Amino acid sequence: MISKDEIKHLGWLSRLELTEKEIDKYSRQIDEIIRYFDKLDTIPFRKGELTGSIKTVDELRDDRVEVFEGDPLRSFKNRKDGFVKGPRMA
Amino acid sequence: MPNHLYQLTADQVVSGIKNRRFSAQEYISQILERIEKVDSKINAFTMVNSDDSLERARSIDKRIKDGQDTGPLAGVAVGVKDNICTKGIKTTCASKMLDEFIPPYDSTVVKKLKESDAIIIGKLNLDEFAMGSTTEFSKFGPTCNPWNANFVTGGSSGGSAASVAAQECTISLGSDTGGSIRCPASFCSVVGLKPTYGCVSRSGLISYSNSLEQIGPLGKTVSDVMMTMNVIAGEDEYDLTTRKKKPTSFATTPDTMSSDRLPNYTLQTKRNIRVGLVEELIEGADQAVSKCIYSALDLFAELGCKCENASMKSVQYALASYYTIAMAEASSNLARYDNIRYGFEFSPEDYEWNAYFAKVRNNFGEEVKRRVIVGSYVLSAGYYGKYYLKAQTARRMIKHEIQSLFKKFDVLIAPTMPILPFRLGEKIDDPLKMYMIDIDTVVANLAGIPAISVPAGFENGLPIGLQIMANELEEQTLLDAASAFESIVDIRRSPEI
Repeated sequence: MISKDEIKHLGWLSRLELTEKEIDKYSRQIDEIIRYFDKLDTIPFRKGELTGSIKTVDELRDDRVEVFEGDPLRSFKNRKDGFVKGPRMA
Repeated sequence: MPNHLYQLTADQVVSGIKNRRFSAQEYISQILERIEKVDSKINAFTMVNSDDSLERARSIDKRIKDGQDTGPLAGVAVGVKDNICTKGIKTTCASKMLDEFIPPYDSTVVKKLKESDAIIIGKLNLDEFAMGSTTEFSKFGPTCNPWNANFVTGGSSGGSAASVAAQECTISLGSDTGGSIRCPASFCSVVGLKPTYGCVSRSGLISYSNSLEQIGPLGKTVSDVMMTMNVIAGEDEYDLTTRKKKPTSFATTPDTMSSDRLPNYTLQTKRNIRVGLVEELIEGADQAVSKCIYSALDLFAELGCKCENASMKSVQYALASYYTIAMAEASSNLARYDNIRYGFEFSPEDYEWNAYFAKVRNNFGEEVKRRVIVGSYVLSAGYYGKYYLKAQTARRMIKHEIQSLFKKFDVLIAPTMPILPFRLGEKIDDPLKMYMIDIDTVVANLAGIPAISVPAGFENGLPIGLQIMANELEEQTLLDAASAFESIVDIRRSPEI
């Protein structure tokens, strides 16, 4: 059973501020979802069969400077004197 | 010929404009009037690109008048799902987190559509960040099914399917992570294709689960979808997962390649296709759906195809594997939304870094938050091996099993959706129940193979779709089978609205 404290902690790890109501609802629903995922425990694996990703990327394109028309930073809502404003590092 | 220009298929639009039976401007004006008239009833569009579309239509007319060449989709009105970047046009993912986002560049698919002289008529509604199966999780409100506005369109590309069915655009683009093109195509009685993973560039598609998702076309006919694929498919230096290898079907027929990079799909009604009906994907379906799919199998047999039942045991792990991987990737992909680079007005002053992020990210909708939390859970220390690693292994088992089936069959068929469209709000509070309806579509995403949904029938006025799957890069085989089926069934594609 996934506890409310676990949901609260996962919320923090995911940078999501959850209300008590959300924590209540999610703990119930997510418990049900995770229990369904336990189906994966029934796969008849052979020894050594569990491995990580097999994808490899051995070639990346070169970086290129590309000039955008207009103001490419216009989606940045919080700006001041040509800088981007962020919250304080504490 | 139909009475109105908005009723035409893509090839009829292209030839009509090219041969000057009507102008691009007349056609686009009719499309815009149609949107004005019907969209308030179904809510498919998030934004209509009226002025720019009319201007482009006039420019195409002028070029034709001047005897200049035009592209293969010249004049065709294409709607684009609002998670695909359009330069200078808001791209919101139906999320408050991207409320004001105006991309500074076009996605590769939109760039290719523009180069082919297609007209981007507007942006289309979806479940927030493409997470959902009904298009109910949108900041713009739900899109309603054009066949009955009390029912869901399916999702997440609900706007893409509903707009085509309602004849508000001729073609649309959707994205498909676990069925998001095929599900609404099925629920709205249109054709929708999810290409092979790597067949179409994802550059400019806002990522949800990047190892599973593909952009693909929706249209009224198989021909509409094929014409769009000829424009959008191919290698792209901005997406390293796009495939260099040419489809095997073309290896022996070099004259069908229009260039080194683009396959040139054609429509051939083949009759000697080996068709397998996947038992495990039909056994849990509603009676009306399974009856319709068994009739489809009979029709393939009537055409002269070799039809047999096929079995795929690993299907039982598909949903758990799919949702584990999709949610894990979602939690990682959505970490970038910090409201600093994209977002809405909310001053960061007086906030500490983490507290600010947690505060603003609370603006994600309910389903997105749920998936991000589950994703964080399955990736966290101690659970990674229990869930994520096993899900990846199950994925490989599924891929392996499906590839061995393609030694025996050219295509596999199944219902697209195991159920009929249901009422708006019916499943919204039961996420697991909602996930279960994706059982027939997630297999193609896990295996990376192409799959198409084609209209197959109706029950109580609600559409049923047939799903056809082929081996990777065998889009031509898939189109051949879909075209063969389309040639012998006569299913309505557009409701009275």
